[in-house]
Amino acid sequence: MIAALGDNIVCGLGFSSEEVYASVKKGIGGVKRYEGTFGLPDPFMASLIADEALDSAFADLGRGAAGDYTKFEKAIILSASKAIAQAGIDASHKRVLFILSTTKGNVDLLEHENYDRQKVTLWHSAGLLAGWFGNTNEPVVVSNACISGLCAQITAQRMIESGSYDAVVVVGCDMLSKFVISGFHSFKALSDTECRPFDALRTGLNLGEAAATIVYSASDNVAGGCAKMLCGAICNDANHISGPSRTAEGLNNALQAVLQVRPADKIAFVNAHGTATLYNDEMESIALSRSGLSSVPVNSLKAIFGHTLGAAGILETIISTMSLKKRKVLGSRGFERSGVSCEVNISAEERDITDDTKSCFIKMMSGFGGSNAAIIMEVGQ
Amino acid sequence: MIKIAAYTRITNRSVVLNGEKIFTAKGENSLNLTELYRNRGIDYPKFFKMDNLAKSGFLGAELALRTLGLDTVTPKKGTAVIFMNSSSSLDDDIAYQQTIKSGENYFPSPSVFVYTLANIVTGEVAIRNKIMGESSFYIFEKFSANNMQSIIEQAFTNTSLDMVVCGWVEYLQGEMDVLVMAVQRDVVRGDEFNTLNINKLYDIK
Amino acid sequence: MEQLILDLKQQIIEVLNLEDVKPEDIDENASLFGEGLGLDSIDALELIVLMEKNYGIKLRDPSQGKQIFTSVKTMAEYVAANRTK
Repeated sequence: MIAALGDNIVCGLGFSSEEVYASVKKGIGGVKRYEGTFGLPDPFMASLIADEALDSAFADLGRGAAGDYTKFEKAIILSASKAIAQAGIDASHKRVLFILSTTKGNVDLLEHENYDRQKVTLWHSAGLLAGWFGNTNEPVVVSNACISGLCAQITAQRMIESGSYDAVVVVGCDMLSKFVISGFHSFKALSDTECRPFDALRTGLNLGEAAATIVYSASDNVAGGCAKMLCGAICNDANHISGPSRTAEGLNNALQAVLQVRPADKIAFVNAHGTATLYNDEMESIALSRSGLSSVPVNSLKAIFGHTLGAAGILETIISTMSLKKRKVLGSRGFERSGVSCEVNISAEERDITDDTKSCFIKMMSGFGGSNAAIIMEVGQ
Repeated sequence: MIKIAAYTRITNRSVVLNGEKIFTAKGENSLNLTELYRNRGIDYPKFFKMDNLAKSGFLGAELALRTLGLDTVTPKKGTAVIFMNSSSSLDDDIAYQQTIKSGENYFPSPSVFVYTLANIVTGEVAIRNKIMGESSFYIFEKFSANNMQSIIEQAFTNTSLDMVVCGWVEYLQGEMDVLVMAVQRDVVRGDEFNTLNINKLYDIK
Repeated sequence: MEQLILDLKQQIIEVLNLEDVKPEDIDENASLFGEGLGLDSIDALELIVLMEKNYGIKLRDPSQGKQIFTSVKTMAEYVAANRTK
């Protein structure tokens, strides 16, 4: 068990977790239509971070010129800075580790004829991040497609519980580019409208840009009311590199594993992956049903943030933790009528968590490579 | 105790399987992965669809696991696949970038794009061997036996795990550097999974 | 049509990396997916790219692919009727 001491979200809706959460509560979504952006021939729907706003917030850190860093680098540094300040830890300490969760890092640099190869590598970005805070431990990069953000938190837990480190700064980030959007487009996975997770009319996903950070430490001697990550599990479907399992084998196994530490009646809600592709949402409904979670409220945040790839597992854990602390299940934007075969209790509108014994939520994700993951977070009374 | 039950070491020059050199590159050329596949009599047509990183990791795992007599049919919940490297999927990223050059050459390829995720190689090994435990991919600047040992040992704190197919799987523009190990709990055969022994295997060139 | 069928067989083998398959091994009436050549969902997406790249056909709705890619023959008929290059 590890405790979350501080967090931050940098995305199109704002540059702090509180600001972003407030936007979500007001019903403001980040997904918009873009045409001609990134030199793409087709218009797309996505949640992007405005360059000027990011540059200005980065400049406010008072440490470096915005022009010397890529958008990806600025976002991870900004997000980590704010979370570390909130956690009140000395990030340069030798007992602190940085973990970066990303799928593509600075991949957009490949568009340039004479790109700096080292700058494209993910370990280089992670080193830049840790170095910014004067931390000399070799950082860890987790690159596990869509589930990276959960794998990074699970890795943090292992690092802390094994006694290797006292605190871990888990930063997740991906930026959008011609590279990433064209790829998802070639997979016919993108929706031309705001996505509709679990809905009968869903036609695909929206992508989003974000950086998100959680600072974790050992859970002893931590103030009450602090959110704790109890455990996590990663399970492969062993089925197909891009298609979700028809039987939800891997996700069901991951859910069963985390339910070992808390029974289903302690779960206030499940924050699903809910990408709004036909097969993902269908697969998740099967996993929920097989794991005995059909009646537990479920939501997806993808219509608000888009699928933020390497940041998603961390960003969605933060928002869900905030809602659990406020005893709310956030509404699942874009959902009207179920379009999945198994019974799931999708929370279309925001609702209160009235039962005080429900102290936990489950965050789950699935992705390319046949990987699935689930973690369970708890907020004590 | 955790032990290295089997391993494959693939470099540009040769392939060493459990201490025995089983394949050597011809003349001055780098080792050809397709020739290695054919030479070993492997029958798995999906191999030809993989990118070079996935082919490298697949062959590393395939050669080692078959020496353990592991079947490819039984679901294995207690087995994990955890790989690491330095360049992530850069080899395939460069290939995909070619498919999205502007104007007339804009034909993004889904089968190239899917391999621009480094962890797909872990998925390929999982699919081939019906491995249903954890699959993870980590990136570090250089090979380090310390990182390898600590990440894998920590994965073993999950008590339902009895085997991890792990290793360093690097492929970038014709340069390959692969060490895949089948690491098991409670087995008789094999050397202890420690930094000394991991380095010994990595030092085989 | 004969030539187009042969061309398509060669292109399919090339773009889908069917290394051990020769054009004469493919029965133009046999189904491409499922049993037949054992193609999967990524292969289907790659065939959509093939039609666009080689024949200038833009498939708006990917679900149309199911019918078009029933066999090499149905694919050839669709290409013949819709090609722009």
